[in-house]
Amino acid sequence: MTGKKLLLKALKDRGVKYIFGYTGGAIMPVFDEMEKLENFTFVMSRHEQGAAFMAQGVSRASLSTGHPQIGVCMSTSGPGAMNLVTGIADAHMDSIPMLAITGQVATGVIATDAFQESDVVGVMMPICKQTYMPLYADDIEKTIHEGFYVATTGRGGPVVIDIPKDVQNAQVSHDYQFDPVAFRPHLPGYFYSPTPEREPLQRAIELINRSERPVMFCGHGVINSNAGQLLQKFAEKVNIPVAFTLHGLSAMPADHPLSLGMMGMHGTVEANRAILEADLLISFGMRFDDRVTGKLNEYAQNADVIHVEIDPSEIDKNVRTSVAINADVYRTLHVLLDDPMVTFKPRRRWLETIDVFRNVMAESLAAEIAHGVGTGNKLLMKTIIHQLSEVTQGRDLIVSDVGQHQMMAARFYNYQTNNSWYASGGAGTMGCSLPMAVGVKLARPDERVWSISGDGGFQMNAQELGTIMEHNIDVKIIILNNGYLGMVRQWQTFFFDGCYAGTPMQSPDFKLLAQAYGIPHRKVENLEDVTPALQEAIDHQGPMVLEFICDPTEVVLPMVPSGGGFEDMIVKHPQKIDKDLAGEGDAA
Amino acid sequence: MKRRAILAFTLDNPGVLNKVSMLIRKKMYNVDTLTVCRSRIPGVSRMTITLREDDQTRVTQIIKQLEKFTEVISAKELDTDHSYWREVAIVKLEVDVAHLQDFTERYNFEILEQKGEDVHILQIVGSTRRIDAFLDEVGQEHIIEIARTGVTALEK
Repeated sequence: MTGKKLLLKALKDRGVKYIFGYTGGAIMPVFDEMEKLENFTFVMSRHEQGAAFMAQGVSRASLSTGHPQIGVCMSTSGPGAMNLVTGIADAHMDSIPMLAITGQVATGVIATDAFQESDVVGVMMPICKQTYMPLYADDIEKTIHEGFYVATTGRGGPVVIDIPKDVQNAQVSHDYQFDPVAFRPHLPGYFYSPTPEREPLQRAIELINRSERPVMFCGHGVINSNAGQLLQKFAEKVNIPVAFTLHGLSAMPADHPLSLGMMGMHGTVEANRAILEADLLISFGMRFDDRVTGKLNEYAQNADVIHVEIDPSEIDKNVRTSVAINADVYRTLHVLLDDPMVTFKPRRRWLETIDVFRNVMAESLAAEIAHGVGTGNKLLMKTIIHQLSEVTQGRDLIVSDVGQHQMMAARFYNYQTNNSWYASGGAGTMGCSLPMAVGVKLARPDERVWSISGDGGFQMNAQELGTIMEHNIDVKIIILNNGYLGMVRQWQTFFFDGCYAGTPMQSPDFKLLAQAYGIPHRKVENLEDVTPALQEAIDHQGPMVLEFICDPTEVVLPMVPSGGGFEDMIVKHPQKIDKDLAGEGDAA
Repeated sequence: MKRRAILAFTLDNPGVLNKVSMLIRKKMYNVDTLTVCRSRIPGVSRMTITLREDDQTRVTQIIKQLEKFTEVISAKELDTDHSYWREVAIVKLEVDVAHLQDFTERYNFEILEQKGEDVHILQIVGSTRRIDAFLDEVGQEHIIEIARTGVTALEK
């Protein structure tokens, strides 16, 4: 038995179906073995970063299914491994369990600056949950199983296993034995506490029952612990409105009467104003990131904070808690739901106040969406997302890139199904959407998957059209093309006197690009063509690219400026700016 | 800024020191002193790290993030009231024996070697402040070279 065989055996024992990656000198033995085994579907990305995001897609999308899978990506040493870095750092920021296996130069030449040698463990250490470099074939199986255990327990995260080429080929010792079922990793320094303790729960319940203006927060931990339904039940039980982090979206229906939508920098007025006025914040599985809180010393000044979080290092990191519950969100909600002490309150006045907040922008946004076009009659992103939501009844899987279109997709798609929204949040990696959508589609083949990108982000991993072509992966690809890096342009409009440095962008003819990969393409410039084009993509069997020509002056509002508090929320477009397009009319 | 000592018990694996020091750098501290030794338990190392920070929440944050590492078994802060902080210095100096004798009663040092007439190598054990005071009193102008271990600490 050799190291490479044990590696693949361990992956098979762990239920891995897909391996995403790119071969090369130092990983060739494993690929050679994989080809002979036929146990896995190998999906070749066109760049290793794509493979990392595909693996993320599998992990993210499958966690709410009956059979969660852990995404696995594989690359060679040196440049191959270095190209994985962004995808791994991204998974780390977003707490996504995943396994990256990298080939390494043979042990005999490690640290001699051998061809394609990089210190993978050294580079990956600060951007993943754990790194390993097994030096004996006997250690490989154990390492893979321990890696899976670490990646998937507690707060999830990526694990990197760097395997020297000679170790892949090495024979195990004659008395080698390993029982994957009985195996328990020896990790005396690794703790996580899934079950909530009684005492803080009791205090939390007292605060909840006493509060008059509470807001519940739904973070990524709700999605990751598959607790969406429980959260909704609990919100209904106590009659408390729910605000979502970017990654908490889709944990419960977006149009639920208690939903306040997304909070934070581009959150809704109702979410942010409610937080400002709240006397209690009950947060489930989130980390109070700066995009959520704005200026910390002005954040929720008058509120007690209950923080339910599996990672103890997140508690009291940014926001001081009144009650800390270091536990799994699912289990905590389960206990809370069954607790007879938790009481329903009508909270009529509070809910009325929130309705006032809801109305601040509701009318103007509805009018904008209905009007559908902005400067030069170019399409508005929010209208396209709204129409997508209507056509799909909010039931499809949305994989977004990073930028304005991401915020629009977060705000204006009416998510109806649990865990149906995916994006790079913490790291904010442009280019994530196209490859991530590949993984999402493979993990949930029976559901329709939309990849939504801007013209900038799309071109960062456009090479993955090759993977989509090769495997005929049925992803509907939307490019919201406004000729700019829109989000940065928006900041330039607001905070840099409209000096558009480095944001205008010339794109290739996306039709020719799609055609080169044998993928049909539609360019949509008129409002009346939006829904028919979306419908055409739905009716088409297989991947399709829809390119919408969008208004570059459209901005995502409201916006809490970076470093500002919720009081500083911008709700109206500053008319004075947009120098280069002055005279062409204002955004609708 | 207040000097803090963090005591961590870690697995004696390659890369653990790297992780710990990277975290401290990421948090934008300069390690003041760092000592690592074996502990009573085989396979477990004992690390004492000192750094400077006034804000207690930031120190708690470092400790929590240290504890998050798979290889860190436990981490805590030691304060000077409830623990002993000591270091060893080996000092090479050029000084009259008579001058050194002025300090024998007040400082706990041992002469390891006398080289020639005036050059001595001595070792002194004590708190950082005590060693600093000794070096100042002897006179920096007499000192040729100093090797200090950095602080190690033990809870009372």
